[in-house]
Amino acid sequence: MSQKKIITHHDVLCPFCGTLCDDLEVDVADNEVVEMRNSCQIGTKKFFSSNPSGHRYLKPQIKEKGSFRDATWDEALDKAADILLKAKRPLLYGFSSTECEAQNVGVELAEYLRAILDNTASVCHGPSLLAIQDVGAPLSTLGEYKNRADLVIFWGSNPVHAHPRHLSRYSDYVRGYFRKDGRNDRFIVVVDPRKTHTAQIADLYIQVKPNEDYELLNAIRAVLRGVELDAKEVSGVPMEEIKKLVEILKKCHFGVIFFGMGLTQSVSHHRNVDTAICLTRELNDHTKFLLTPMRGHYNVAGANQVFTWTTGYAYSIDFSRGYGRYNPGEFSSVDLLMKDEVDATLIVASDPASNFPAGAVRNMFKHPIIAIEPHHTPTSVYADVILPPAFAGIECEGTAYRMDKVPLRLRKVKEAPEECLPDREILERLLEKVKEKEGK
Amino acid sequence: MIMAEVKLKLKKKPKFPLEADSITPDNFAGKTLNEIKKLPLYHARDLVTIGDFFDVSGKAEDVANTKIIIDGDVSNVKRVGEKMTGGEIIINSDVGMHVGNTMSGGKILVKGNADDWAGAMLQGGELEIEGNAGHYVGSAYRGFWQGMQNGVIRVKGSVGNESMLWAKSSKPSNKWPTLYCGSASSFLGLHNHGGTMVVEGDADRCIGADQSRGTIVIKGKISRLLPSFKKLDDVNEITLPNGEIITGKFAQYSGDHSISKETAGRLYIAIK
Amino acid sequence: MSLNNLILLTGRTINQGVALEGGKNTKENVRAAGICTFDKEDFKKLDCIAGTPVKVTTDYGEVLVYSTITEEGPHPGIIFIPMGPWGNQVVNPDTQGCGTPTFKGMKAKVEVVKDGRVLDAIELIGKLKEA
Repeated sequence: MSQKKIITHHDVLCPFCGTLCDDLEVDVADNEVVEMRNSCQIGTKKFFSSNPSGHRYLKPQIKEKGSFRDATWDEALDKAADILLKAKRPLLYGFSSTECEAQNVGVELAEYLRAILDNTASVCHGPSLLAIQDVGAPLSTLGEYKNRADLVIFWGSNPVHAHPRHLSRYSDYVRGYFRKDGRNDRFIVVVDPRKTHTAQIADLYIQVKPNEDYELLNAIRAVLRGVELDAKEVSGVPMEEIKKLVEILKKCHFGVIFFGMGLTQSVSHHRNVDTAICLTRELNDHTKFLLTPMRGHYNVAGANQVFTWTTGYAYSIDFSRGYGRYNPGEFSSVDLLMKDEVDATLIVASDPASNFPAGAVRNMFKHPIIAIEPHHTPTSVYADVILPPAFAGIECEGTAYRMDKVPLRLRKVKEAPEECLPDREILERLLEKVKEKEGK
Repeated sequence: MIMAEVKLKLKKKPKFPLEADSITPDNFAGKTLNEIKKLPLYHARDLVTIGDFFDVSGKAEDVANTKIIIDGDVSNVKRVGEKMTGGEIIINSDVGMHVGNTMSGGKILVKGNADDWAGAMLQGGELEIEGNAGHYVGSAYRGFWQGMQNGVIRVKGSVGNESMLWAKSSKPSNKWPTLYCGSASSFLGLHNHGGTMVVEGDADRCIGADQSRGTIVIKGKISRLLPSFKKLDDVNEITLPNGEIITGKFAQYSGDHSISKETAGRLYIAIK
Repeated sequence: MSLNNLILLTGRTINQGVALEGGKNTKENVRAAGICTFDKEDFKKLDCIAGTPVKVTTDYGEVLVYSTITEEGPHPGIIFIPMGPWGNQVVNPDTQGCGTPTFKGMKAKVEVVKDGRVLDAIELIGKLKEA
């Protein structure tokens, strides 16, 4: 048996979740990932999924008479450009699992087409951005939390499942500069309707009733102000427990709230985050307190950054009148799709057929879909054109923004299959084709 | 006062929402019918004209004396009456989002339901909706911390979430933005700093959340009172900041105490 | 056997995350995301073994998924379906004007369907493509 030459890549970024771990070790032999170290289960799976398999698209695909056939890039781009130009209200959606240069081209394409431009924040932490636009937010970086936080609160967030290495790298077990005893130097609180796996390793678990987080946060804020409340219990939590929690909040040296979908995806969405931010700010009258949203995708924060630099807005942007306008609820993907207001979609680095409510998917399927997608997914399988990309962060470089908005450089550890192009190149060629067809 | 009337009749229901911010007495005043027909509308990414979608008849005068009557199903037509300063608009059907937004004078009557953002950023004038209204009635737009600052909105039916968001009054200028509605969803009066709200029927949860000052009156039931509101003495009469007097037995609450230990904000809930 | 007056939550699980990176159209994915997790005591009322298909119904739709017992309880009255195509048949698409659907907190009821066939992702989503 011949010895395969193994190349080890160090300090590789993981292109899965918003924790954006930057310490992965990847062994590559014969242009295949053969071993991973330091990555969590999901990151490992992601790197291995870039190896040859039956699930990966190796050539552009065009759907004809109900089934896909191979096509040249020229053919496929031509068809995609036709679809986008013919539509009156096209939607460009996704962008969260690709790198910043690609996102930048996406903005240019959306602006040229006078389309709607949106990213996955729309169904995830969009409410957090809405809240920050109303009341600001005291944020910091993960390194600060690792080194200083002695009180860590997970509210509506379950990192054991969604951000597997967050606890060991930044928020729970890790030794920090001022937290030299690691776990023993920290007090962990979890607020959740279920006693999640994260709650099971916490010091204090507070069981809140579903859809009643707002009232609980509101009560905490009032107690913090020294107001004696009339209620004996709020959102399933006895007033005595609330008062004890307030003392814990006031007495810490450096507190942080990490929050997730428990706040943004329950009823009252952005107002849950609004009041959590106000609480955090008010705690700074007593001690040091900050908060950070647990962003889901590895570069959704980057999509928000890039969209904001270029258009002024982070997501749900309408270019139909020749300039960007922002209004989630009016220009957000799910709302538009539920009203069947979109007549073509370009899906980049995301899978709305799996992640949007059924009614939105049903309407999305009524119109042409172009998917820039490496793997078979429910979105790509039902698309009309598939443009196969290289995996950003595995097969091509780029910039990604972590959940705390720190930009980090994605690495290239192997070559993409011959006919798979980087997302940014696909979007550049598509923009060129669209302009060419309009004689520009 | 006899007003000059311009009649708009919708020729065909737009396939995509129609943005009709050009339909205001201000934009029609002093124009001939042909000029009015050429005013721009946006249909998805196509720039079209009023004449493309509406039959236009009648006559326009100056702003104060121009009345626009709209017939046909305009439930998908947005931004009617935007920024108007006078005159009247009567809409004989449901109407789309943003009706009467940022208006500072004049009157709009919707003889049907209104979609989200009705009367957003109102600076004056009157908006009346005979049916139900969507979310964000009389609210501030995204990122603004001052929303409705004057004028009156009346909704016979229900209003959606976060109505009167960031409403702001001014005692020195005698400006008391006021909403009257049949019933209210959650977060009525969120971030209120001076607005007045009177609900004839029931309201949902989180009423008056983050209110720093203002007056909210619920004549029906509330589904859940915020824990940060504290009970004060019952009252038999409420004097609204605009001078109007409401009689009846009400439980009085101060709030929102999550903002401050002492507050001028008040919430009244009828005692049956 | 059936249960009413439940609250449905949806969200991430690590298995669902692993499965989706491995291919969303695989059996692994059905077993990771095509499930409904019950509180231990609640599940006893259904009188069936873990793994039996159940039909979950909300005001927004219905879906057949495999039943499992929670490791993250107790949470009486709450059921959990991981995010993905199965959960999305029954979540509330209404965003209340803010853009984000209400994926958590729907009222739900559950019915045991012993011979039910839980569809894989492609077939399930395919039903939305019909006509």
